Amino acid sequence: MSDGKGRVTLRGIDKHFGAFHALKGIDLDIAPQEFFALLGPSGSGKSTTLRVIAGLETPDAGTMTVDGVDVTYAEPGERNVAMVFQNYALYPHMTVEQNIGFPLRMDGVPKARIPELAREAASKVKIDHLMQRRPGQLSGGQQQRCALARAIVRKPRLFLLDEPLSNLDAQLRLETRVELKRLHRSLDVTTIYVTHDQEEAMTIADRMAVFLDGDIVQVGTPDDVFNRPDNLAVAAFIGSPPMNLLPARFEDGAAIIAGERLALPPRSAPVPAEVVLGIRPSHVRIADTGIPAKVVLSENLGESMLINAEVEGVPVKVRLSEMRPIAEGATIRLAFDGGHVHLFDPQTRRRIA
Amino acid sequence: MRSAAFRGEGNFAALLVAPSLIVLVVTTTFPLIYLFWSSFQNINLAMPFLDGFAGLDNYRRMMADGNFWHSIGLTAIYTISTVVLQVVIGLGLALLVMRIPAGQWLFRIVAILPIVLAPVVVGLFFRTLMFAPEFGILDFVVRWAGFGPVNWLGSPTPALVSVIIIHTWQWTPFAFLVLLASLAALPPDVYEAARIDRANALQRFWHITLPLIRPALVIVIIMRAMIALSAFAAIFAATGGGPGTATEILNLYAYRTSFVTLDFGYGSALAVALLVITLIVSGMLFYMRTARTT
Amino acid sequence: MARNPHQAARLRRGIVLYAVVGLLLFVWAFPIFWAVVVSLKSETEVLAYPPNIIFEPTVRNYRDALVGGFSILPSFATSFIISGLTTVLTIMLAVPCAYAFARLRLRGKKALGFYTLVTQMVPPVGLVIPYFLILNRVGWLDTYQGMVVVYLTFSLPFAIWLMVSYMEDIPCEMEEAAFLDKANRFQALWHVVLPQVRGGIAVTVIFVFLNAWNEFLFAVQLGGNDVRPVTVAMYNFVSVEQTLWAKLSAAALIAMLPMIIIGFAAQRQIVKGLTVGAVKGGGRR
Repeated sequence: MSDGKGRVTLRGIDKHFGAFHALKGIDLDIAPQEFFALLGPSGSGKSTTLRVIAGLETPDAGTMTVDGVDVTYAEPGERNVAMVFQNYALYPHMTVEQNIGFPLRMDGVPKARIPELAREAASKVKIDHLMQRRPGQLSGGQQQRCALARAIVRKPRLFLLDEPLSNLDAQLRLETRVELKRLHRSLDVTTIYVTHDQEEAMTIADRMAVFLDGDIVQVGTPDDVFNRPDNLAVAAFIGSPPMNLLPARFEDGAAIIAGERLALPPRSAPVPAEVVLGIRPSHVRIADTGIPAKVVLSENLGESMLINAEVEGVPVKVRLSEMRPIAEGATIRLAFDGGHVHLFDPQTRRRIA
Repeated sequence: MRSAAFRGEGNFAALLVAPSLIVLVVTTTFPLIYLFWSSFQNINLAMPFLDGFAGLDNYRRMMADGNFWHSIGLTAIYTISTVVLQVVIGLGLALLVMRIPAGQWLFRIVAILPIVLAPVVVGLFFRTLMFAPEFGILDFVVRWAGFGPVNWLGSPTPALVSVIIIHTWQWTPFAFLVLLASLAALPPDVYEAARIDRANALQRFWHITLPLIRPALVIVIIMRAMIALSAFAAIFAATGGGPGTATEILNLYAYRTSFVTLDFGYGSALAVALLVITLIVSGMLFYMRTARTT
Repeated sequence: MARNPHQAARLRRGIVLYAVVGLLLFVWAFPIFWAVVVSLKSETEVLAYPPNIIFEPTVRNYRDALVGGFSILPSFATSFIISGLTTVLTIMLAVPCAYAFARLRLRGKKALGFYTLVTQMVPPVGLVIPYFLILNRVGWLDTYQGMVVVYLTFSLPFAIWLMVSYMEDIPCEMEEAAFLDKANRFQALWHVVLPQVRGGIAVTVIFVFLNAWNEFLFAVQLGGNDVRPVTVAMYNFVSVEQTLWAKLSAAALIAMLPMIIIGFAAQRQIVKGLTVGAVKGGGRR
């Protein structure tokens, strides 16, 4: 058991790599025992943040504390963290047992106890039958488990995962995702998880931070981020495909797009005359009346259908749960429920609550 | 079934291999057989009237020859000390240079120079410019530092140290460059994992770096040992094996016996001894290499 | 520059690091640097004690080395002919052989490969003795053909092994594609494989040429007045003219100039040649 702590606080963390501004003064609070995801596209700063937390990178400015203790300049080994690397970083010349036992060996655990503890950790991820193999003799999934076992064997205060599933095939990724969640529950350790896969972050994390261009653009639960995107950047990033964003005029509590009026529920904040209207593709219907759109392409996704259309030159995607023939080039009418609509201020680019 | 394209592969391969192998047999194996033959003969160009079959005489003489055992001892000292120095300095330097962010190219350039110079020229440079009494720079430095004049090449122990220094100077860059390339090829994330696992710098070197570069280390040791065993030109140019026989490793002793004393029969026997030693040492090192990696 | 304590510590470590490596760099660069300095001095200045750092440089030594009584130009030409012939012959023999070793099925290939490897380890003194007696008998002492034959003994096995490691690196699919395009084995080797290993051949050429140029033991014993490579010429110069260091330095630098140029120009290739095989095993995961 960890000592019931593991609160991570980042304040104003700034990092340059040469001319590249990797982190632009980010702030982040991660609660004890939380499963926290850092989500963002590549180059957005999520991995750098994780490496700063691990102590593998030193920030140019800013501070980091764990449970109130400043560890900004502490060596990785002094932080009581464990990490699973994207390429696993297993020690190629050591057996599985030696790999898992290495952190214990460095901790000065008596030699005689190491095999037993290593086996215990290995059994948690079901590779205890492979203890004498070398990494080169393991499949990708087994290597990943070995890396996991090496990370959990020491019962760290922070458990860091850098895109741990990205090198697995699709089937294995789904299985391991579930197992990671289970593992986190049994370990009860603050877990920070870097991923570029939003579905992964959504399903696995208690809370997440969305990174874009070296900034954190939103922190919240998956539900917050998906259903209440803070700003246009998050709205345009989250969802597969992300929500449609259409310029609209706002008059008397209704949005006007392509001459069509759409009544919206009242907002608590004042709404400007020009807005950006966001609507998820799955919330758009094809109706007899509504906004006119021209079909560009229809894709059959198996369980659903994705229509790519254009409204006054702006691309709009529609996800239909039932299959129906729709000719490319045809004009259709789109309708949606005002309750599903998100409004953004095009000036501040922020959500209008 | 293999496709038609693979038919006749053996014949084609034989055709490609044959010229090289014929040349090797004629130019290397045949002279070696001749060497074995002459090691059982009396061949003395100074006393040709004694020539003839000698049986094991040359080998019996070798066993009782103090110079032979002396040269074996020198060969061992020379080989072991130069290989150890090259590997230790080369690895140390490679580890240091790995850590400097800029200017690595300068080291690669400087390291290339000793390697491309002819050993005989290196021997001459050191004999004249570095070690010469009165005017050599090293002698100047030693005197300036207050250790008095050292007759580097003129007295036995300093002469041996000198030839070891020369060899180490010329060939450490080889070990350095090979080990530097080998270090640069190591995966960085493994080191990060080790840092997170609380291994300090020394532990990372001992538990990660050394095992990972062992194949390269062993190859360097094998190659350097082979070169040291057959080192000739630099010693020949710097000391000629002297003073007396103070730097006369087996290689030079076999040479002197043949080409100065003109006793080719005994010289051949000494060369056979060197050949056997070389093969035993390389065999041992190769065995170590395969035994440890599997 | 130091924006935080961590960076200050790193800066201090960096300074110490550069000082240490700088010192070692100096040790390795100095003898060559000093040879250049001495070669620019007059003979009287060479013998000045303590050694002069400031002096009027002269190119007389270089002029003497090139066109004087002890001109090294004839030896230079000799070295060029021997090294060139050795290189051409070696490449012609080694490349096809290496291809067969690396790629083709051949009965007894392992044994033949081992034989080649062992050949490479024969100490030169074990060959110079029988060669002296043999070449003496066939009248090839002090001839170009004699020298080239002897030089093949060390260049050929080395070249075969170096080329094998390059051949092993090119993907088999290349030749298979060529076979599908109806090339025969020879055409596949000539048109597909050889262009792929051009870099490897270049490295091999450099090493064979360099080793031949720098060779001394065979040259001093099996050469003579007609065939006297630069290495022997340098050695003889010192034996005859004990104290003419400035001239020696100038001549030696000229003699080594082709190697120094190769060293600078082909630095990457040389390092690659040195490390081939050694690193291959080292980077395994």
